[in-house]
Amino acid sequence: MDTVQTSKIVGSTTTPALAGAWHRIATIAGNTFREAVRDRVLYNLVLFVLILTGAAVFIGELSGGQERKIIVDLGLSAMLLFGVFIAIFVGVGLVYKEIERRTVYAIFSKPVGRGEFLLGKYLGLCLTLLVNVAVMGAGVSLALIYVSRGWDPLALSIWPAILLIYVELMILTGVALLFSSFSSPALSALLTFFVFIIGHFSADLKSLANSMGGSAARWLFAALYYLLPNLANLSFITPAAHGQLPAAQHVAVVVLYSLVYIVVILAAATMIFSRRNFK
Amino acid sequence: MNYRGSIRDGALLLTLVIGLASVVGLSRWLDSYRPPTDSKIEEEQLYLNGTTAKRISLGFNGLAADWYWMRSLQYVGRKIIGVPENIPIDSLGQLNLKLLAPLLDTATTLDPQFMEPYQYAAVVLPDIDLQQAIRLTKKGIAANPSAWRLYQHLGYIYWQQRDFQAAGEAYDQGSKLPGAPPWMEAMKAKMAAEGGSRDLAREIYSRMYEQASNVKVKEMARKRLLQVDSLDQRDGLRKVLSAYQSRMGRCPSSWKEIEPGLRALRMELDSTGAPLDPAGTAYVLVNAGCDVDVDPKSVVPYR
Repeated sequence: MDTVQTSKIVGSTTTPALAGAWHRIATIAGNTFREAVRDRVLYNLVLFVLILTGAAVFIGELSGGQERKIIVDLGLSAMLLFGVFIAIFVGVGLVYKEIERRTVYAIFSKPVGRGEFLLGKYLGLCLTLLVNVAVMGAGVSLALIYVSRGWDPLALSIWPAILLIYVELMILTGVALLFSSFSSPALSALLTFFVFIIGHFSADLKSLANSMGGSAARWLFAALYYLLPNLANLSFITPAAHGQLPAAQHVAVVVLYSLVYIVVILAAATMIFSRRNFK
Repeated sequence: MNYRGSIRDGALLLTLVIGLASVVGLSRWLDSYRPPTDSKIEEEQLYLNGTTAKRISLGFNGLAADWYWMRSLQYVGRKIIGVPENIPIDSLGQLNLKLLAPLLDTATTLDPQFMEPYQYAAVVLPDIDLQQAIRLTKKGIAANPSAWRLYQHLGYIYWQQRDFQAAGEAYDQGSKLPGAPPWMEAMKAKMAAEGGSRDLAREIYSRMYEQASNVKVKEMARKRLLQVDSLDQRDGLRKVLSAYQSRMGRCPSSWKEIEPGLRALRMELDSTGAPLDPAGTAYVLVNAGCDVDVDPKSVVPYR
């Protein structure tokens, strides 16, 4: 983070405390977004467009008339996969890069809280992912309109599934940030990827907990089930490809669950990061 | 750029061109000398069953189902390419497609709402493995209890096996579901009254042709409709041949000899006077002119 931007995040001492904190967080978030754009993170959109264009043009020959379903499956799966890679590889470097470049000293010499710094970094990457997901979603909708040679209801009905993908990426970004607040980027990336995998096996963890004979093992797996994010709840790609919409109540509860989970992760990350010694 | 730099760039460009040309050449050599694929390996059972594949798909199960679905189509397509005849896809029993049922099963386990594999199973599988065809269709019904089309597929399988009672029951059950068209209800009565008739076959294939989104299934239904029409035409032709034989005491040596009879049938004739089948190919005289059949080159299926 350069000096000019660092000076921006300090804020005025006359501003009320909360407004000042939000101003600093927003500045850090904006700067993180700009940094991601400068790092060419959004270049993945080009690859995504190429995949989608290829699918739209060629998949009709291979799919036996199922190109609409396959475009939704392929488009939303690629959106999730690319998003996971960005959340993991950019997320784990958010804090590390600042420490490595020693810009963190300049930031914390000003009245910027460590929690504000982490939250700003988190929201900045979430903004990057939002732009990414929105552009990709628009790409899938356009591809559907192209293969249907006109308006296709799927172009609109896939958006709740896209929202859930974005919420899943928000969780993973939080997890990446949590791990990066106390470990190296490589280990953080590995651990976050494990969380992504285990998060989709949540149902198995629960059934494993129920089938365990010993109470200690049962408690362990039950604890893991509740401790790790249940990402299977956010998986709605396959039904979306059939034009199904998730129940509004389900979406509301899942989003609420995710927001609570993110708050918990960020609180934990702040606790760890606040105790970290940069000397 | 100095002289040495130009030399270096030129050498690198040359290396690039020669390297790429060598890669193309070596790949072509490898392709031409590659030993034929072992049929045992080609037909090896799938490593993953549907349940395991779904578990490890990490939320990408829809995409995995698409992949298995396209693999099913490629598997059938590869086998059909190796066969010289123009076989309709509902008569592929001789091709030993033993991987088709597991592939379709995996696709539908990964995405139980994926309707296309169920229809493909109902049309293609009965000639290969009837029990698997019924099992897959019933699996689809269990996963999609409000999908009347799956009952249509089940009815079709039973009708093909001439089990008209079971077929009628399947159509009847499907007709009670919301959104089912009125003809589903009529099918039950038709199955009981005229199960083996051509009119019913015509209706079944017409409905299939109208609703199929798969090009191959649509094409099969179209060919079967041509076949039903052709069977009607051949009945008429046999009557003309039989009348000629009774009158002359021998069978005709060419279509020209029975041209008046053919004109009475109002059939289209080609320049040699041979009647044309519904696909526009001339019929051929067989059994020394005593019987008629479709030309093997015709689109109208033999079986």
